[in-house]
Amino acid sequence: MKSFLSFCFLLLVTLVSAISSTGDRLLAVLDDVAEKAGYSKFLGDLESRGFKITYETPKSESLSLFHLGERKYDHVIFFPTKAKGLGPNLTPNLLLQFLNQKGNILLTLSSGTPAATSLVSLLSELDIALPSERTGLVVDHFNHDVVSAADAHDVLLLPVPRPARDDVSDLFAAGAPADTPIAFPRGAGVLLGPGPLLTPIVRAPATAYLYNPKEQAEAVAADELFGAGAQLALVAGAQARNSARLAVVGSAEMLSDKWFDAKVTKVGEKKEVPTYNREFAKRIAGWAFQEIGVLRVNWVEHRLNEAVVGANVSNPEMYRIKNDVTYTISLSQYSWDKWTGFTVPANDDLQLEFSMLSPFHRLHLSPDPAHSTPEATAYTVSFTLPDQHGIFNFKVNYKRPLLTNIEEKNTVSVRHMAHDEWPRSYVISGAWPWIAGIGATVTAWLAFVVVWLFSRPAGERVVLKKTQ
Amino acid sequence: MAPKRANARDITPSSAATTQAGPTTAGTVPAATGSSSTKPHKTSTASLATKDGWEQVVGTVWNHYLEDTPQRTKLIDAFMAFLVVVGALQFLYCVLAGNYPFNAFLAGFGSTVGQFVLTASLRMQTTAANKSDFPAVSPERAFADYIVCSLILHFFCVNFIN
Repeated sequence: MKSFLSFCFLLLVTLVSAISSTGDRLLAVLDDVAEKAGYSKFLGDLESRGFKITYETPKSESLSLFHLGERKYDHVIFFPTKAKGLGPNLTPNLLLQFLNQKGNILLTLSSGTPAATSLVSLLSELDIALPSERTGLVVDHFNHDVVSAADAHDVLLLPVPRPARDDVSDLFAAGAPADTPIAFPRGAGVLLGPGPLLTPIVRAPATAYLYNPKEQAEAVAADELFGAGAQLALVAGAQARNSARLAVVGSAEMLSDKWFDAKVTKVGEKKEVPTYNREFAKRIAGWAFQEIGVLRVNWVEHRLNEAVVGANVSNPEMYRIKNDVTYTISLSQYSWDKWTGFTVPANDDLQLEFSMLSPFHRLHLSPDPAHSTPEATAYTVSFTLPDQHGIFNFKVNYKRPLLTNIEEKNTVSVRHMAHDEWPRSYVISGAWPWIAGIGATVTAWLAFVVVWLFSRPAGERVVLKKTQ
Repeated sequence: MAPKRANARDITPSSAATTQAGPTTAGTVPAATGSSSTKPHKTSTASLATKDGWEQVVGTVWNHYLEDTPQRTKLIDAFMAFLVVVGALQFLYCVLAGNYPFNAFLAGFGSTVGQFVLTASLRMQTTAANKSDFPAVSPERAFADYIVCSLILHFFCVNFIN
């Protein structure tokens, strides 16, 4: 019944918004609204996916992220702006507040225009560092496009980003044609702090480095180098604990129409190949705006897995120690316009913790086809509760890069054995000698009492008579 | 009965009129110990003498007990000996086979021990020689107490063994 209800609700949700799982109101911040013509294909793709885009300039009086304390937009996209600041409506504090209210931000940099101070402050709040000049140029003398940047070497050709490890889900490269590079023209890179909330999506190749064309035109001193090689993130993602997302794209130009259609040639090759930019732009925007990599917990059920009265109750509040228990959790993943079942990446493990302060059990959850639907995959595990009474949590703590954080906690009490739940002693054959011991004692005592009563001393009566 | 018992007790050390046991024992035991202490090397004769002496001691004590103990006290002693045997068997079983249903062991062993203690109390309170120690407790009263306490003990043990 519960799963049927959630299914109906799910159906309703998909009908209402066939777009991002969190909303369709998108704010695009540009220097000049006319600039949007350069990104017409990117923005057109967004609109065709159902986003309602509002275009604003930072100077606009009407620009405001909030109305009466609620978000006015679900997502914001920042294109490079020439102004140093973004004005009073887009302060770092407001932008963080926007993230805290589960708004998503896509932020683009450019080597030509320094990033606005407001955005630099926002990024440093998230432990993402930009060069002190607020911009820079990433060049690579071995992986550039020989057609458009034969001399400057500032249009990088990057392989499609595969996951760094095979237990991370592949959101950006799945289904990509082989040998189509991403063009990264005249962009900047950022350095990511060590926090677990930050994920580099595209790293610079080992031979790339970032320099400032104005000040370091001749040579880059080693101690003035901001970053080089894989430490530079050209595209990076940050996902807050509330699963609000912020994506940094180092080059705004890679989202432009020009590079969607461009043909590029790698160093040492003659063949001209199309770029992967359009698909990559779709996917990075889709990730930032909660269209892919979004997980949802549909329902959680734990119940007694024993053939006793009351075993058929879902989510009871109390168990007994050493009960056999089954836990099931249903997960869905949002994929562009619909919810699908979530499949845990190969070599990754979805785990259940049964914990009181620290986990007593940490168990592998395996797929349960009996309770799965095309829209949701159920994961289940059956186990025996520990021999310890107290307040326990069933906890699923699944936090992976690029995927929505899942932290599902259900609290139950585990009581000790009641006095009448132990096996009777006569059931245990080892106790029979002691039962016989009690039997012998009681029987002998009865015999003793009877014999005592009939063995009245003969002389007593005489003594009594004498005294009388 | 009480005066008679007290009488016998008084008489025993002084004269051999009522029982032969008292004087014989008194005479033999010092002699035996004396011989063993003075002749430590002649172990065979010494031990023989000691053994004979001990047999005599035990024999006289036993005869004295048989002749001089009231019927009910003998009954109590027999019951207590039975309890010791049953308790020892249960303990032996626990040592050999393990104490798995530990409550069963406690209940079984405890029932014999408890019964032994209660019976010993009954023996103390009904022995005529101890009359002066329990001026307020008649043998009938002692026996009634004994019945009630035993029933409580049995009730507890049967419950505890579950």
